[in-house]
Amino acid sequence: MTAPAPPRQAGGWQARLHLDFALQGDRTLLVRNRHQGPLLVQRPLYPEEGACHGCILHPPGGVVGGDRLEIDVRVQEGAAALLTTPGAAKFYRSAGATAVQEQRLRIRDQGRLEWFPQETILFPGARAVLETRVELEQGASFMGWEILCLGLPASRARFDAGSLAAGLDISRNGRPLLLERLGIDNSRDRDRPAGLRGLPVCATLVATDCAAHHLPPLRALAAGLKDGLAGVTLAGELLVVRYLGDSTMAARQLFQETWALLRPATCGRPPCPPRIWAT
Amino acid sequence: MATMTEQLGLVRLLQLVSPCQPTGAFSYSQGLEWCVEAGWIRDHRELAAWLADLLDNTMARVDLPLLLRMHGACRQGDEKAMARWCDLLLACRETDELRMEENNRGRALLSLLRQLQVPQADRWPHLLGPCQLAGFACAAAHWRIDPCQAAVGHAWAWLENQVMAGVKIIPLGQSRGQQILLQLGSKVVAAAQEAAGLADEEIGSACQALAIASSRHQDQYTRLYRS
Repeated sequence: MTAPAPPRQAGGWQARLHLDFALQGDRTLLVRNRHQGPLLVQRPLYPEEGACHGCILHPPGGVVGGDRLEIDVRVQEGAAALLTTPGAAKFYRSAGATAVQEQRLRIRDQGRLEWFPQETILFPGARAVLETRVELEQGASFMGWEILCLGLPASRARFDAGSLAAGLDISRNGRPLLLERLGIDNSRDRDRPAGLRGLPVCATLVATDCAAHHLPPLRALAAGLKDGLAGVTLAGELLVVRYLGDSTMAARQLFQETWALLRPATCGRPPCPPRIWAT
Repeated sequence: MATMTEQLGLVRLLQLVSPCQPTGAFSYSQGLEWCVEAGWIRDHRELAAWLADLLDNTMARVDLPLLLRMHGACRQGDEKAMARWCDLLLACRETDELRMEENNRGRALLSLLRQLQVPQADRWPHLLGPCQLAGFACAAAHWRIDPCQAAVGHAWAWLENQVMAGVKIIPLGQSRGQQILLQLGSKVVAAAQEAAGLADEEIGSACQALAIASSRHQDQYTRLYRS
C-alpha cells in the first residue's frame, strides 16, 4: 500500500529531498535519505562496483506554478554516487505563479558525484526558477549535465510566453569556478543572437579532473554533430561542453558519449549507464 | 565649466581607453572570427545585433557591475573584496580562450601600470596580473576617474575593439564601422546605468552561442585573432 500523498498546499507542492552518501568499508552507502513531499529515492542500486546509483522520483510527474522542489545532496569523503531521474522534468504552463527548483550538491575530499538528470522541459507559458549550486571541496570530483528544452519542439510549440531564470554556480573551497545566469522573460531574450538564437534546446556538461590531452576526441565529437552545434572548452579546471540546437536526444547522446570517453580516463572505470535510460 | 579635477579625470579616461594602449587588444575577436566563418554574422546588421546583445548582457550584467565593485575595493584598499570580484569575473568568462585573453591583457596592463606608477600594480600584482578588468579599475580609481564614467569608458573601449575586429573580418567599410559605433553609443550608456543598479546576486549572464563560438574558435583552421 502506498502512503497517501501529503496535501497539496495552496501555494503548490513543497517537496524536499536530502541525500547523504558516505563510505563504509569500501562501499558507498546512502546513509541518509529523507524526504518531505513528493520527491524521493526509493532504494540505492549497486549495478557496478565502487559507486552507489540512485534515481530521483517526482511522483506528480510535472511541476506547476507555486511548486517548490529542493534537492540537497552530500557526498562524503571518498564516497561515489551517480544520480539520475526516470524521465524528463516537466514544468507546465502557469497561471501566474512561479515554480522553483533548487539543487545543492556538496562533495567532500575524494568524493565523486555524477549528476545525470534527464532533460527539463518548459512548456510554453511556464514560469520557472532553476538554481543549481555545486560546492566542491579540495580533491572532490564532479561530472554533471543540464539539458533545458524551451517549449515543445516536436509539436512546434515555441516558448512564446512564460519566463525562466536558470542559474549554474560551481565553486571549489568557496571560490567560484563557473557562473552562468540565463534569464528569459520574452521572445527577444529567447532569440538573442549571442544567447540561444531562438533555439529550443540549450545544454551544458561540466566535469572536473580533465586535462588538455582529453580534449581532441571530445572536440571531434562536437565537430561531427549532425543535429545542432556544440563546443568544448577547458575553462580553468572545468571541462565545459555546451550544446545548442533543437534536439534533446542529440544533446543527451553527445553527453553520454562524452561520459563514455572521459570516465575511464578520469576515474578508471568504464561507464555504467543506469538501466532506466534504456526504457 | 567642469572643474580642473574633472577635466583631468576625463583626460586620464581617454588615455586608459585608447586603442593605443600597448596591451594587444586588437588581437582578440572574442569569437567573432568563428561567427563570421559559421555564417552567424554576415553583414553590419548582424554585427550590430550581436554586439548590442553582448552590451545588454555580458557588459551590463558581468563586466560593468564588477568594474564598479573593483573600483570601490581599490579605493578602500580592500584586497579580499578585490580578490573575490576577480575570481567572479573569471568564473563568468565562458571559455579557455576568453580566460586566456583576460590573463594576457591583464599581464600586459599590469606591466604598463607599473611604468605609470599606479600603486596597486606593485601592491596587488597577483590580482591584476590574471585579470585585465582589475587593472583597469585600479588605474581608474588611482586617477580619480568617476566610477560610472570608467564603466562607460570600459564598455566603449570593448565595443570599439569589437567593431574594428568585425570590420576587418566580415569585411565592412570603415564608415560602416563608425555607423555601428554611433548606433550603439546609447546602449553603452544604458549598460553602465543598468550595471549601477545590480545587486551582487544578480551578477552573471548566459551567452550559450558566444560560448560555443569561442570554444570552436580555438580549433578553427585559419585564424588571425587570438580569441
